[in-house]
Amino acid sequence: MPRIVREAEIAWEGTVSRGAGTVRAVSSGAFALPTTIASRVGDPEGKTSPEELLAAAHASCFVTSLGSELARAGTPPERLDVRCVITMDEVGELGHRIVSSEIHAHGTAPGCDQAGFAQAAEAADAGCPFSALIKASATVTVEAHLDEGGDDGD
Amino acid sequence: MATERTADVTWNGSLLEGGGTIDRVGSGAIGPLEVTWADRAEEETRGRTSPEELIAAAHAACFSMALSHGLAEAGTPPSELKTSATVSFVPGTGITKVVLRVSGDVPGLDDAGFREAAEGAKVNCPVSKALAGVPEIQLEVG
Repeated sequence: MPRIVREAEIAWEGTVSRGAGTVRAVSSGAFALPTTIASRVGDPEGKTSPEELLAAAHASCFVTSLGSELARAGTPPERLDVRCVITMDEVGELGHRIVSSEIHAHGTAPGCDQAGFAQAAEAADAGCPFSALIKASATVTVEAHLDEGGDDGD
Repeated sequence: MATERTADVTWNGSLLEGGGTIDRVGSGAIGPLEVTWADRAEEETRGRTSPEELIAAAHAACFSMALSHGLAEAGTPPSELKTSATVSFVPGTGITKVVLRVSGDVPGLDDAGFREAAEGAKVNCPVSKALAGVPEIQLEVG
């Protein structure tokens, strides 16, 4: 398979504590977002942060893996909802580390039962490129369930 | 104190013919943003972001904050830093490479000092630590 390249950039002005940056999606142009250290570690105040971008990356990576696993099992999904929560913490002398990524997934997949959905979620965690990487510093947990009766999102 | 950040994604239909949306994030700064497999795995993005582009954005932002902090600690705070991150993805294999390119305007600091600070930021920023499993993280300074 070909190598796919995606690029983003940030321009940062001023010191880390009082300065601010703008992070841009160079490849797609899909976003240009302000970020500051205060909004990264404290109240976001409408600004994104590296951890939030990783949460968006992991959720969007995991959802495609889960969809693939369900299709492989012969029960392709109609709809999947995935939430990712990334936690950064101070770990003793190591300083700030990304310590966990929690995945919460649910959805509808005709013909699939709870056990099959849980199995697909486990396989998705094993196969998702982002899950594999972030395990270098973080604990990845996956909680998954099939929606009961119908395709209502939440 | 621990900091949590959240994102929500919905996917409808199959991998190849369906599509997803990054519906919202905790800060409200992103979304809704569409994502599809084709726009992720082909050269052409058609204006849609992807997990790899979001990782690039996270890494560039985290690296810049770490570098800004390191420079300030050393007594030479930057007036401006520009960082780009490029993430390579090989479907079926995974994320194979990140290239960080950084330039900056740092009063009172020479090129060697800037390079040293950038190497430190590359090693120590939390996203670099989280991506330690990437086979190659390359830094270009200047």
